Amino acid sequence: MEILRGIDLTVMPGEKLALLGPSGSGKSSLLAILSGLEQASGGALNVAGADFTTLDEDGLAAARRGRIGIVLQAFHLLPTMTALENVATPLELAGMPDAMARAEAELIAVGLGHRLHHYPAQLSGGEQQRVAIARALAPKPAILFADEPTGNLDHANGDAVADLLFARAGEVGATFIMVTHDEALAARCGRIVRLADGRIVSDSVVDAGA
Amino acid sequence: MNLSWGAAWALARRGLDWRFKGLRLLLVCLVLGTAALSAIGTLTGAIERELASRGREMLGADLEFTLAARAPAADERAAIAALGELSEGARMQAMAVKVGALRVGATNVVGASSPPPTPSSEEEGASGSAATPVELKAVDAKWPLYGTFRLADGTVARAPEGMTAWIAPGVADRLGVKVGDALKVGEATLTVGGVIGSEPDRLAEGFSLGPTVIIGKAALDASKLVQPGSMVRSKLRVKLPAAADPVTLGESIKERFPLAGYEVRTREKASPSLDRFVSRMGQFLVLVALAALAIAGIGIGNGVNSYLEARRNSIATLKILGASSGDIARIFLLQLAAASLLAIAAGLVIGVSVTPLLGQALQGLLPIKAGFVIDFGALAIAAAYGALIALTFAAPPLVRARSFPAMALMRARVSPLAGGWRGAVLPVALGLGGIVALAVLTAPQKLLAAGFLGGAAALFLLLSALGWGIQRLAARVPKPKGAIARMALANLHRPGAQTSALVVALGFGLSAFVLLAGVQTSLDGNIAQRVPNKAPDYFVLDLPLSRVSDFDAIVKAAAPGADIRKVPALRGSIVAYGPEGAMTRVADLKQLPENAWPLRGDRGLTYADELPQGNVLTAGQWWAKDNAGEPLVSVDDDLGKALNLKLGDRIAVSILGVERTAKIASFRRIDWENMGFNYVLVFSPNAIADAPHNLAATISLPQKEKTAQVRSAILGGLVKALPSSSVIEIGPVLGQAREILGQMGAAILAAASVAVLSGMAVLAGAIAAARERKTYDNVILRVLGASRRQLLVLLMAEYVLLGALLCALALALGSGVAWAIVVLLFEFDWLPDWPRILGVLGAGVGLVMVLAVGGSLGLLRTRPAQVLREL
Repeated sequence: MEILRGIDLTVMPGEKLALLGPSGSGKSSLLAILSGLEQASGGALNVAGADFTTLDEDGLAAARRGRIGIVLQAFHLLPTMTALENVATPLELAGMPDAMARAEAELIAVGLGHRLHHYPAQLSGGEQQRVAIARALAPKPAILFADEPTGNLDHANGDAVADLLFARAGEVGATFIMVTHDEALAARCGRIVRLADGRIVSDSVVDAGA
Repeated sequence: MNLSWGAAWALARRGLDWRFKGLRLLLVCLVLGTAALSAIGTLTGAIERELASRGREMLGADLEFTLAARAPAADERAAIAALGELSEGARMQAMAVKVGALRVGATNVVGASSPPPTPSSEEEGASGSAATPVELKAVDAKWPLYGTFRLADGTVARAPEGMTAWIAPGVADRLGVKVGDALKVGEATLTVGGVIGSEPDRLAEGFSLGPTVIIGKAALDASKLVQPGSMVRSKLRVKLPAAADPVTLGESIKERFPLAGYEVRTREKASPSLDRFVSRMGQFLVLVALAALAIAGIGIGNGVNSYLEARRNSIATLKILGASSGDIARIFLLQLAAASLLAIAAGLVIGVSVTPLLGQALQGLLPIKAGFVIDFGALAIAAAYGALIALTFAAPPLVRARSFPAMALMRARVSPLAGGWRGAVLPVALGLGGIVALAVLTAPQKLLAAGFLGGAAALFLLLSALGWGIQRLAARVPKPKGAIARMALANLHRPGAQTSALVVALGFGLSAFVLLAGVQTSLDGNIAQRVPNKAPDYFVLDLPLSRVSDFDAIVKAAAPGADIRKVPALRGSIVAYGPEGAMTRVADLKQLPENAWPLRGDRGLTYADELPQGNVLTAGQWWAKDNAGEPLVSVDDDLGKALNLKLGDRIAVSILGVERTAKIASFRRIDWENMGFNYVLVFSPNAIADAPHNLAATISLPQKEKTAQVRSAILGGLVKALPSSSVIEIGPVLGQAREILGQMGAAILAAASVAVLSGMAVLAGAIAAARERKTYDNVILRVLGASRRQLLVLLMAEYVLLGALLCALALALGSGVAWAIVVLLFEFDWLPDWPRILGVLGAGVGLVMVLAVGGSLGLLRTRPAQVLREL
């Protein structure tokens, strides 16, 4: 079954892009392919200079390592690790030096300096998503992907997390691609790509400050 | 009001997946345990039944009377002959010597599977006077009263006539003789008339120090081996009329001739020692399998827990719809009972099916072939154990599930069910009580069974404590650097981790492996290394008093450094014991007191002026040389305690039909390990020396004289000069003992491997239970950029860590208990064969690792996007 058809999309470095569409439109599948979590069955995909279509699972993992950060709707923290250890893990997997110190700095940056040694079960939903954001941004990735990052949070927490996500992505200088079905949140990106039935139905530049 | 059982069953059946998804761990564990128990029980039952049903053929009679060291008196013979058809014979130890044409190098004439010739016989064969100890069996024309005797070529035969002999394949092998060759036994020259094929009464003859030579009465007389004092056992076998009761008739003869010293055996108990061996070995194996079933119980508990966890939403929904706790309990109890019944039935079928294979594997150890049988008693016991174990281990999670409020179930998605253990106390206590009661009540040795259960329970508790400790320790040790190592360690103690259960389940089986290998290799090491150093090189039986100087001269001429010890050797049975005037008659005892084995049948007796070497007096005094006063006796300390004897009490023995009473002058501790002549009763010479008797002797060679030439000269010289004496070399006897020990070890190891299999089933369950959690971890790590190699390292690290812990635990526990058994219980040296122990342990841990890693490899192939969508 073809999920995505005729997708032709170029995203420039530093750009902020929202993938918008109803359920089943293929936005999460597109994000999975762009971030290397899934392989496309055809076509060409070049991400940060790497041809993703030629890479196997391990090649995609290596391509992600240190260069791509991903924030997921359900936070997906490792329950046996503290917040600090969770954030340090991608740095350690990529063999980066001073993993713990860098992780600590990142957690302080997302406002969780006081929760370094807490386990996920001891954190609120908003806090868990902040840890997930810190984990994604700690390696200073070239691209940050986010799949419905506020979908599991209440309104106030969702706003706070969205603010943090945009601010930190900007500070790191990462290209930011976000999947959402929230029009307001999408509008905070400079560009909105709308999908329906696996196709791009519109690609528009908006005033992010509006 | 609770749901009726019928309504509960309707709901239970609806919720029950007939492929038993979720209950497979329970099924596997129960099937394994009940299959092992039913197989062992069926095999033991089959052998016991075979022994009972073939008793008449095995005994070769309905009733057998055995007399030590004498032929029956005329009135005794007449009384026994009046009972029915009498067949008379004799058994004794003798030497068979090859005479006539030399066949140098002809060793394997008959029976390619027979043992190789002993070194001495091979050497003697080359020099032309081959000799080997044999069990001489003299029979009359009526033999066999029951069963059919066949020669190796299939010919049906009876007692050999004249100077003809039927020889066992072992004799043919060792001496290199064939049909038509001549053999010398005592002073008789016999012709080999045929090689024994099947001897119907072989089993009931018991252990012998050499292969059998069957001869007729004339040949026995011609051998001149039966002399006053020689160690002959006369056998009087009777075929009774159909309605006669052998037990009553046997008792009547014993009552009529109370001092004759007859040992009576009936067709119902043709071989009491074999019965005892089979029954005890069977019981021991059942206990080992029961321990394995208890391990399986952990798997059952985990399986039920996972099953109920997976049905948390259903339970909550049922409760929200109005089901009470009792209803929940009934519904799931019925589901679990249905699965358990199916598993137990499957286990019983498998158990019965593998019994013939088991019998085949243990053929060397078991004297009888066990065919395909269904022993309902054994199956009922195995089923009861299965049901009780299922009840004991399934009750706690079931009770927890029923006592949880609906909303708590809904909320508790991320944490395992907790609390509510109090309600489980009663079913668990009932289950455990039932298991203990069943094990003890069905055991022939209740104390041993209770001791084994106590030991197993202690081991369980210890392992549980260690498992808990390891989990706590893993949580407290400083976290290693590196995400992979940190996660591997965290997986040992994270909430819901199965470390503790796995330590118990796998630790028990692996410790049992180490324990058995340690005990077996140590005993084997003692027999192989230490015993030959302590034991003499030869035992010589039936050495006539008048030929002592010739004996000494032959041995000293061949081996000047030889250490020769001689003791008077008589046979007799204890007939009474206790204070003077109030002695207990052994014949009146319904059951022998515990550890009073010397009261059973006739045994060796001796007299001495001095305390035997290696014995230590524990009470009383040794008598003066040439004691001419009241006849005295010194008694083994253990027997004294078993019979509650005091100094000054009396012991009466029957020797050659004459009762002799002696006063207890002392108690001795005997060093049984010295492998020399040890006697439970040592008399003052004036008590028994006047009875006709021979001597027994041991010959110990100094190291430099343990050569083929010296052995050849000793054996050749003694056989030629003392034809009525038997010379038994200790080497081949030890070889036999090692072989039996090896087979027993293999049987016990096989039963214990069920414990390891159960442990592996628990492991498989733990892997399955952790699959969701591990998939999650792997996917997240994959998202964060972990390579497949890094995930594999994580997987290996966790199980290598667990494997290393289990190895250390099994080595420490298993070898510790093995050491205690070998050194403290058996009082042997601790001589383990470490390469073999580590090999057995390595094989066990290796299997565990293969299962653990192999069972989890699929996780490495999970695709992140696919899983993330489902989470």
